Amino acid sequence: MRNHFHEQLERLNVELIEMGALCEEAISAATKAYLEGDRQLGARAAYLEQEIDHKERDIEGQCMKLLLRQQPVASDLRAVSAAMRMISDMERIGDQASDIAEIARDMKRSSVIGEVPVGDMARAAIGMVTDSVDAFVRSDLKLAHAVIARDDQLDGLFLAVREKLTDLIAQGRDGGLCLDLLMMAKYFERIGDHACNIAQWVEYAITGEYEED
Amino acid sequence: MTKKIFRNCLAVGIWVFLLSVALFMGMLYQYFSERLTTELENETALVAQGVETMGMDYLEGLRASNRITWVDKDGTVLYDNTADAATMENHADREEIREAILGSQGTARRESATLSQRTIYVAQRLEDGTVIRLAGQQHTVVRLLLSMVQPILLILVVTMALAAVLSARLSRGIIRPILELNLEHPEEHNAVYDELSPLLTRIRRQNDTIQNQIELLRQRRQEFTALTENMSEGFLLLDHKGRVLSYNTGALKLLGAQAPAEEANVFTLDRSEPFRQVVNQVLEGRRCQGHLERSGRSLQLLADPVMRGKDCAGAVLVLLDVTEKEQGEQMRREFTANVSHELKTPLTSISGMAEIMKDGLVRPEDVAGFAADIYKESQRLIRLVEDIIHLSRLDEGGDNLQKGEVALLELSRTVEQRLHPMAEQRKVTVEVTGEEQRILGISSVVEEMIYNLLDNAIKYNHPGGKATVNVSGEKDWAVVRVQDTGIGIPEEDRNRVFERFYRVDKSHSKEIGGTGLGLSIVKHAAALHNAQVELDSTPGRGTTVRLRFPK
Repeated sequence: MRNHFHEQLERLNVELIEMGALCEEAISAATKAYLEGDRQLGARAAYLEQEIDHKERDIEGQCMKLLLRQQPVASDLRAVSAAMRMISDMERIGDQASDIAEIARDMKRSSVIGEVPVGDMARAAIGMVTDSVDAFVRSDLKLAHAVIARDDQLDGLFLAVREKLTDLIAQGRDGGLCLDLLMMAKYFERIGDHACNIAQWVEYAITGEYEED
Repeated sequence: MTKKIFRNCLAVGIWVFLLSVALFMGMLYQYFSERLTTELENETALVAQGVETMGMDYLEGLRASNRITWVDKDGTVLYDNTADAATMENHADREEIREAILGSQGTARRESATLSQRTIYVAQRLEDGTVIRLAGQQHTVVRLLLSMVQPILLILVVTMALAAVLSARLSRGIIRPILELNLEHPEEHNAVYDELSPLLTRIRRQNDTIQNQIELLRQRRQEFTALTENMSEGFLLLDHKGRVLSYNTGALKLLGAQAPAEEANVFTLDRSEPFRQVVNQVLEGRRCQGHLERSGRSLQLLADPVMRGKDCAGAVLVLLDVTEKEQGEQMRREFTANVSHELKTPLTSISGMAEIMKDGLVRPEDVAGFAADIYKESQRLIRLVEDIIHLSRLDEGGDNLQKGEVALLELSRTVEQRLHPMAEQRKVTVEVTGEEQRILGISSVVEEMIYNLLDNAIKYNHPGGKATVNVSGEKDWAVVRVQDTGIGIPEEDRNRVFERFYRVDKSHSKEIGGTGLGLSIVKHAAALHNAQVELDSTPGRGTTVRLRFPK
């Protein structure tokens, strides 16, 4: 019985890793779609978003089954409940990645893009997502803390982007494009927040303490 | 075991108690009935004496606790102190009376219907032949037991408690040495029970076997680890659930992963999509391979399932770094494309001009010009083919070329002589300076190297520029420096000029001539001599190439 339970927990873990990997792929596809104007990658991000949704439902069902049938306690219970919270953050990351890809698809290519450091934000956000999933995979508390600490950096980048865009709009540059970029930056900033949440859930699963931000 | 011993001890205690109670009661009962019989006999004798002397009067005057019956010779009851003699039946057939009439005394015991009482009869014949009989009553064992039930129960409880305590201590005492057995070294300090010796010997033997096998396994594992650790390829062994059973550092290095936890899933090492696909496929029992990009290296992933019967029991993953191989392939592809292109260009011109001439579209006075062009192009073609042959010979390692002593300064002068006409034509002054250095090398190849370098120095120079060849010696090296005041090589091209057919300025290559293989030949020839090639250049100011030959 217990063996079976542990097998299920292991399975859950693997599925979570897969979902994390899907998120990473979705956001890097979206970013590439933006940076390189690749429409195919944009479509891939949308497809991955559906995959992620599917995975979320799957994992949710598994968690429910585990909770109801095995009634885990202590660290096992924390692992399952952390998993349930993590997947909703991951699902949001998927959504935002596909939103970014959608904006990128309809965006005009212009010199404005080069002037705004949205690319930096994208790289920072991808880094945070990768590290938060890594922290989960390796149960690495230090890495989780590092991810949480990096959120401020991303927030700072967002403010810089906003300021730059305000300037550009004031100069009378392409306002619509600037707004698109602002939305995109906001999405990346949100992705950073979700990565940060994932890291917090990793911390909770390991230590039993959840830090509210 | 303690429990069993305890239960058995307790059971023995209780059984002993019950048996002794039964035995004791039996003895007691026997004793009492004998006492009663004796008493009855005495009393009967007394009563008999009394009746003998006084007759009926004695009986009537007697106040006896026992029942007294006087029976006549024929069995008729003459007197009974508990019942009316007249109503009583004939007693002649009673056992004790019969015995008394036959002998002088008789005894009999009879149980009452309820078994709760037993009556003992003692009869004695008088002088006149009549019989006096006394009857005494005795309680049976059951009654006796019932009357003693309280003390017996009390004793039982006390005995049980005592037995329980004692048997607990006993069983613990028996078990303790067994519990304290040192199973690691079963034959030392364990001389408590001789009966255990064979068992302990056997345990010791099995311990030894297990130790040996563990040691053997450890050795095997070490050998295996040593083998896999020294492979540059990555190696992963998975079980059927995708858990990592074994890995080598090569795999971690190639994947850029950290050491996985015990029994961790392989996806903790890498979770990229191509990797997941390969792993999932191989765990379904299909062999497959994939391709990964990790930190600028391209990795080939080969996966083979480990089959046990029809089920997949695990998988072996091998990671190969195929970056160089792919680059090599890429270069070969480019080379083939370049060669075909370079060969085709002069051929097209030759064929085109020949065609025009064949069709008679050329005026006779122009034929010479066309022929010159055809000649020039064919020369170019020949040079190209020669260079390619040369290069492929160098590629093969130049095994068929004999090494000998080469005088570098002398060789440089020869080269300068050969290139003199071209230098004059381009108005470039050429100078050869330095001191003689001798190295071990292949003269024709070294000459080719210097020729190619000086050729470049003249070709890519400004009119009125200067090209210098300097031969000098350093500690362990002989250095040939070819310097020019030419156009130089831009920074981004410096690493690529040694590639085959690479041209910095592709648009003017035809005017300048050359095959695009010169520096490539220099590079390969240098490798053949273990020599180093250094390139320094400032665009617009000139280029310096140093060849360092080991002395």
